[in-house]
Amino acid sequence: MERQNVPRLAALLLAGLGLLLLVSVAMARERACIPFHLKTEDGKIINPLTGENADQPYSPRQTCGACHNYDEITKGYHFQQGWDRISDDFGKKMNKPWVLSDGMLGKF
Amino acid sequence: MAKKKNNSPDEIDIAMFEWVGGGPTDPKQIGVPFCGGCHPGGGGLEYDRDGKRYDQRLKADPALAQSLDGDYFKSKWDKTGVVEADCLLCHLPGYDFKERNKQLKMFNFKWASTAASGIGQVTGFVREDQHPTVQYNRRLFNEDGKIVLDLAYPPPSENCNFCHGISDAKKRGFSWNDRRNHDVHNARGMSCADCHPAIDNPALKITKIQHQFAKGDENVSSVRDDLDNTIMTCRDCHSQGYMGAPRPAHLGVRPNHLQKLACETCHIPTLHIAGGEGFDVTTGAMVNYPVFNLQDLKNSPKQIGAYFDWHPRYQRIKRGQLAPVNALLAVFFTNLDKDGIHYPLFGRENKKAYEKIKDKLQPKNPMKPELHTNEQIKLMLTALTETLQGNKRFQQIKPYYHKGGKHYHLNEKGEVVAEDDHTYAGHVEGFNINHNVAPAALALGANGCGDCHSSEAHMFKGQIVTDMFGPPDGKPLTISSGRLFGCQPWVFYLNQFHQLYLSPYANIIMLLVVFGLVLHYTGQGPKVADYYKSPPEIVWFPLSERWTHLFRMVSFLVLAFTGYIFFFNNITLLRLSFGTPQTAVVVHWVAGLIFIAASIASVALWGKYARFVPYDKEWLAKKGGYLGGKEVAVPAGRLNAGQKIFFWLTSILTLITGVTGVLLIFKESLPLTLSCLTSTIHGFFAVIFVASIIAHAYLGTIANPGTWQVLVHGKVSRNWAKKHHSEWYKEYATQEEQEKQ
Repeated sequence: MERQNVPRLAALLLAGLGLLLLVSVAMARERACIPFHLKTEDGKIINPLTGENADQPYSPRQTCGACHNYDEITKGYHFQQGWDRISDDFGKKMNKPWVLSDGMLGKF
Repeated sequence: MAKKKNNSPDEIDIAMFEWVGGGPTDPKQIGVPFCGGCHPGGGGLEYDRDGKRYDQRLKADPALAQSLDGDYFKSKWDKTGVVEADCLLCHLPGYDFKERNKQLKMFNFKWASTAASGIGQVTGFVREDQHPTVQYNRRLFNEDGKIVLDLAYPPPSENCNFCHGISDAKKRGFSWNDRRNHDVHNARGMSCADCHPAIDNPALKITKIQHQFAKGDENVSSVRDDLDNTIMTCRDCHSQGYMGAPRPAHLGVRPNHLQKLACETCHIPTLHIAGGEGFDVTTGAMVNYPVFNLQDLKNSPKQIGAYFDWHPRYQRIKRGQLAPVNALLAVFFTNLDKDGIHYPLFGRENKKAYEKIKDKLQPKNPMKPELHTNEQIKLMLTALTETLQGNKRFQQIKPYYHKGGKHYHLNEKGEVVAEDDHTYAGHVEGFNINHNVAPAALALGANGCGDCHSSEAHMFKGQIVTDMFGPPDGKPLTISSGRLFGCQPWVFYLNQFHQLYLSPYANIIMLLVVFGLVLHYTGQGPKVADYYKSPPEIVWFPLSERWTHLFRMVSFLVLAFTGYIFFFNNITLLRLSFGTPQTAVVVHWVAGLIFIAASIASVALWGKYARFVPYDKEWLAKKGGYLGGKEVAVPAGRLNAGQKIFFWLTSILTLITGVTGVLLIFKESLPLTLSCLTSTIHGFFAVIFVASIIAHAYLGTIANPGTWQVLVHGKVSRNWAKKHHSEWYKEYATQEEQEKQ
């Protein structure tokens, strides 16, 4: 290779790398959540790297609830599945006393 | 689900703790969800019916586990912990659903999410009196101890399928991301959340954060019906082009079909995995039956979800349209208590009775007894009568067996009595089929009307199971699909006559008529005493009659043209002439009403001249001089006998097609039977009408040259009058002579 071609080749390589970086940035998907601490059901941080509470299961209420409104989210049907309407008398009016709610928790 | 307050253990079916952690734990079944598996946690899996956390309350009051409280009966919440809402179940791609079910069934409630998400490995099971411990996957954590998870928002369809894949396969043959049981929306990259997003609707007082997901129009009264129809409909997307949805013109589809049929009816003609035909709880377990292969019962699919092509049944849904559904036929037992209510029996109650008679029954498959003979049913009902004695949840023991639209019970003599089942148990409703939409080229109607209206098409002739174990041999009883949505067999055959004979042969009938006229013209030739031999000077057709004829003629031509389009569903001609089917229909209606009015006027004008008189016999005997190869003199009044016959024939045809036509304007309000009947009668007599008019036009033009000019000025020559209407001309001449004198 002739010496005068080296800068040109270096510039080309640099441009290629730049393009690759640009594409990879463009293709990067935004994460739904930034890195976060797991927490126990008592709200204590779990850190497996230091061993802090690392034998405890994580608590979604404490972990996800640190940023998201856990109580509001769990009002949704998928979480309640009729529990928010359950009553021992729910089915009496429809002559089906065994029906306790209009969700999977109590309908059967 | 057990009530909160119970007076006896007999009243408790599945208490809350069992609801979460129950189900078989053998290695094959442990990954299959029980009730709690398809509950993401939170709500009733975290708090009892008094709003207290189970684990904390039971720790404070351990005696609750020995009480009859439905939330604590035989529970170990203090050791298992509670199931908090597992966000990762939906939002973490690659979540291990089987592991979650395993953890729940092994009573590791609060460890389930940690294990199933793969964040950590859980060792030890509460069910085995161990205290589980966790070993976290350190590679998922940053140096600061924070975890890095690639969560998905909105949730990927695969996660929705953990639960909906199982339950909806059974209910409606549903699958997603399934190349064989495809769905056009799925094929275009749409996910569950595209159609079922979180509702954000101030009018409903629901915010997005509340995680209430848009719901379709479930036909069976199911869960949270107040959220029904919060999803965008097919029409919403395909009329607005939402997400690039194509806007179909549906020009080839009759307008009433678009009103009467749900989109799914045509666009989901076939499912490709076996849904459930029904279930049977005789043994105490829920035994599911995949849809039957009625052509070859032995080769029916072995399990729900197996690849198998089947067609849905059709049912009129809430909004009045016919839609595809799958009805799960329930085979189960109830006890008619003193309050007149049929209480479903618990699995363990059925099991106790079944175990008692299993040996006597000797079913081919002990897991599938399929009771269908009176002897078998009697055995089971007798066993239930015995085993339910002393059951404290009933005041009276009177077991019933519900199957195939009938219920069976024992009378005082101990004999089986079968009656039509008018209880809730006998009410069969189908689960809506909304997914697995076929490409338009595979939709019903893509190959023409015959997709539904041919002799073997499933829409009317397909067989639908009504009783999974019918008497006398336990084979399924069926009914034709059309019967289910109100089409009587004779109407179907009438419709078949229309589709198989009338439509295909109508053109041939017309061609035969034209051919016969050509034969006549070439054999007999036109009447030589034609119109032109002398000047027209006698008024034979006054203006009122000419206008009446003109209205009748023009409106008939329009009717025949639009009718031809409808009769043969000629879309090319329709688009070319009218643009839309609606326009053509309205034009047909308007022309029809004008034709009826003009026909009434014609009866008023010509009725008196169309009365038959003695010399008509001679005209008929000589066949009007139209046959025989030579001309003969035939007597005729103002109308000859042939014209009189034609006049009355068309009057009768007008009456028939007019009455049926007016009824068809209100087709949408007619019962299916009357609608089909009316439509067939209308079409049949319209064909005869058109054939008659062709003959009439021939006689009024080329068979009698020059006659057509009467339609313009109403006058005829004396020669023509003498030749064609001799008796009328005599009267005319006499009157003329008298007037001159």
